[in-house]
This record gives sequence, C-alpha cells and structure tokens, in this order.
Amino acid sequence: MIRYSIIAVFLLLASFLVQQFLPAFTGMYHSRILLVQLMFLCVAVTVGSPAMLLMAFIGGFLWDCHCALGPHGGDPDVYDQPAESLRFGYSILLFGAMGFLMQGIQPLFQQGKWQFSAILSGIAVFLYLAAEYMLINFVRGNLVLTRGTVNQMLFTSVLTMIFSPIIFWILFQLAKTCDYSIYPEAGKKRRGQH
Amino acid sequence: MKPFNLIALLLFLGGAVWVLTRSDRAIRDFQASYYYAVSPFLKSGSALETKARAFLSEVDHSKALETELNAIRGEIGRLRIIESRYEDLEKENAQLRHALDFKKATNFDVVAAQIIRRHPTTWWQTVEIDAGSKSGIGTQLSVLSNEGLVGKIDRIDRGGDRSSVLLVTDEKCQVSARVEGTPEVGILSGQRGRLEGNPLLRLKSLTKDASLRPGARVFTTGRGGIFPSNILIGTIESIEKGPLDSEALVRPSVDFDDLGTVFVVLSADP
Repeated sequence: MIRYSIIAVFLLLASFLVQQFLPAFTGMYHSRILLVQLMFLCVAVTVGSPAMLLMAFIGGFLWDCHCALGPHGGDPDVYDQPAESLRFGYSILLFGAMGFLMQGIQPLFQQGKWQFSAILSGIAVFLYLAAEYMLINFVRGNLVLTRGTVNQMLFTSVLTMIFSPIIFWILFQLAKTCDYSIYPEAGKKRRGQH
Repeated sequence: MKPFNLIALLLFLGGAVWVLTRSDRAIRDFQASYYYAVSPFLKSGSALETKARAFLSEVDHSKALETELNAIRGEIGRLRIIESRYEDLEKENAQLRHALDFKKATNFDVVAAQIIRRHPTTWWQTVEIDAGSKSGIGTQLSVLSNEGLVGKIDRIDRGGDRSSVLLVTDEKCQVSARVEGTPEVGILSGQRGRLEGNPLLRLKSLTKDASLRPGARVFTTGRGGIFPSNILIGTIESIEKGPLDSEALVRPSVDFDDLGTVFVVLSADP
C-alpha cells in the first residue's frame, strides 16, 4: 500500500512534466487534456483518504504554481477596479473535493467496475472546471457564461476522460508490481468461487 | 470517520489554509522554484509546439533560413516601433517648439522575442516568450508587436531566458486608454469567456454621452505607470450606452492568432 502510494505520488509529479507537452487545441474552444487532474482522479479512487488528501495537496499546490497570475501592478488611482484572481491555494481544496467525489464510488471500483470511475473522472473534470470558472465569476462580481466557455469545459472533460482507461491500466500494472490489491472486493469474490 | 482519516483531513485543511494565506512574494518564490524545476521540459515542450505550429502553417524553410528570417522580422519590427515612436515625438516636438522648458530626454528601448508557447493555462490569456531577465526584462513591462499593444510581462523564469506575457485580451490585463480625436479616456481590458479568433476588448468608464464613432482608433494614455503613451490598441467596433456611463467594444489591432515576434519595452518615456 505504502509503496503503491509513493509511486503514485511520483506518477502525479511526472504528469506535471508531461502536461508541459500538451498544448491547448485552439480549434476546439481552447480545450486541452488535463493530465494532472486525470492522474489524480484515477489514483484517488485506488487509495485511502489520507493518501488521496496528500496527493490533493501536492497536486493542487503545484497546479497553482503552474497557473497563478501575478498582481496587477500600476497606479491604484488609475486602475481602481482591478480584476481579481483566484487566491493561490484554491486548487488544493478543489482537488480534495474532487478526490472525495471519486472515492464516493470506490465500493463499485473495488468490485472491479472501473468503467464507472472512468466515466466519473470525466464528470469530475467538468465539475472541477465549472467550479473554477464559477469561483472566478464570484471573485470578479458578475456572472459571464458564454457558449464558448461551456464548450471549452465540455471538450476538455471529454478529451481528458478518453485517456482515463490508459491511466487505469498503468495503475493496475503498478498495483500488480507492488502486490497491492486495488480490487479487494473482486478478489474476495474470486477466492469465494474457488 | 476513522481517527486516522480525521487527522489526515485536519492536516490537509491546515495545509490548505497555510498556502491560502501566503504573501504575493512567497507565491512568486514558489512559482519560480516550480518553473525552474520544469524548465528543461518546458524547453522541449515549447520546441515541440513551435515545430508543430510551423508544420501546420506549412512553412517550408530550412532551419537556418527560418532563424535568419525571424531575426530579420524582429529587427524590422523593432525599427518600425522605434520609427513610429520618433514620428510621434517629432509631432510632439513641433507642438512644443515654443516651450522653452521642453528639455526632456527621449528614451525608448525594446528587445525582440519569439513566442514559444501559447495558452499554457486553462482560463488565462497568456503566452511565453524566449527572453527573460538575461535580456533585461522585468515584470510589468509592456509588450508590443508591429501592429500594436500585445500585453505586459507577468512572470519571469529564474533561468533568465523565458517570461510569461499576460495578453491584453485577458480580463486581468487593464490598460488606461484614450480614443483618438476625443477627450474620452477609459480602462480597457479583455472579456471573460471570449476565446475564439480575435476577441473584442471592452473599453469602460467612458462618459455617458461620449460621442464616439466606429472605426476610431484607441491608444494608450501612458497613465497608470505600466504602458507607455500613444501605443495603438485597436479600433472601436461598437458603442454601448448605459444609464451612468458608456462602454465601447474595441477590435484589437494585433492578430493574436498569428503572433510570432513581439517586443518588450525596456524603457520608454511615459
């Protein structure tokens, strides 16, 4: 379990590096594959709450390092109504919330039904983006929701979800290598049949 | 809930609160360390993106020719900007010819850079350029192209050879702007959720009865301490009159989809 969790943390860190090679698809409403979020969501369903929370902290912290903008600067008398940014660290809480969402269907996953988790990872990415966008609207004091933004969130979720079977396959191989059972219920059932 | 899980949750929340309460300076240090750690991968990633873009636009130049072309384009653009600046100054000089105390030294210096990465984040309109502190670039410096204002420097990498530019199409990039031929002055910024093509900019805080016409050019005022004056931003597309003030939608003069070479203004008279 510990060996699996440690390697999973390294996989999350590796996904940050791979993310640098994944550009936005400008022709598809600037959608992109959110590999970091996908890796976290897939791992979240295979580990316990403490390991998930540790990964949510690392993932959210580094994601904010990746994305945060600097202060506006300039003369406050001229720029007296600056557009607010999200506070550095908000992603930690969002990652944690999405992690708990994924763990909500952990019983199904433990029975070997990983397909539900794969679909839920797409839904979780959509909710993550929607929550992020709504927070931006909240701190800026007005709601602006365009068709382009909705499409961007939809395409990003679908594009990301498509890759979830690959991530789950990697995690299955990793679990096998570490002698860690990520399907304990399915294992019991099989043993019962024998 | 199991005690171990509860402790983990409390530690998680404590850690999150600690991060949320960090100062801007500490955040910049975290970011600098992060980008320093991933910089070798960023270089490869942006090289890949540049290659893909070059392939897609069917540019069939040899590597050497392309480098030379980029260098020449950069130099032409730099000279054009300096030339237009001197034209403005010449006009200003003529207007102030009779003012005996007009002795201010002119100062306008730019450095050329290539865009190597576009939109690395989900919600913010940013690009990365291949010049940083080694070229004398610092944060909050203006970034221009041959066509007009592009944005401002938001972050410089610790390695000194890359920086991030916040585009004028982002809502967070605010510019003090004036409309040519009118006394109208306002704050211009990008619009949230507008991503496709060349999104329009919004010029706010204009007077209620502002008499503006579509097609009028919008320039920077030089107020606010970030952008130099008289830099073209775009042209007015439409005007929206409100009960208290007016707003105008501005078509940017820069084609952000086709942006390759930009110029960072190292020093300029306000």
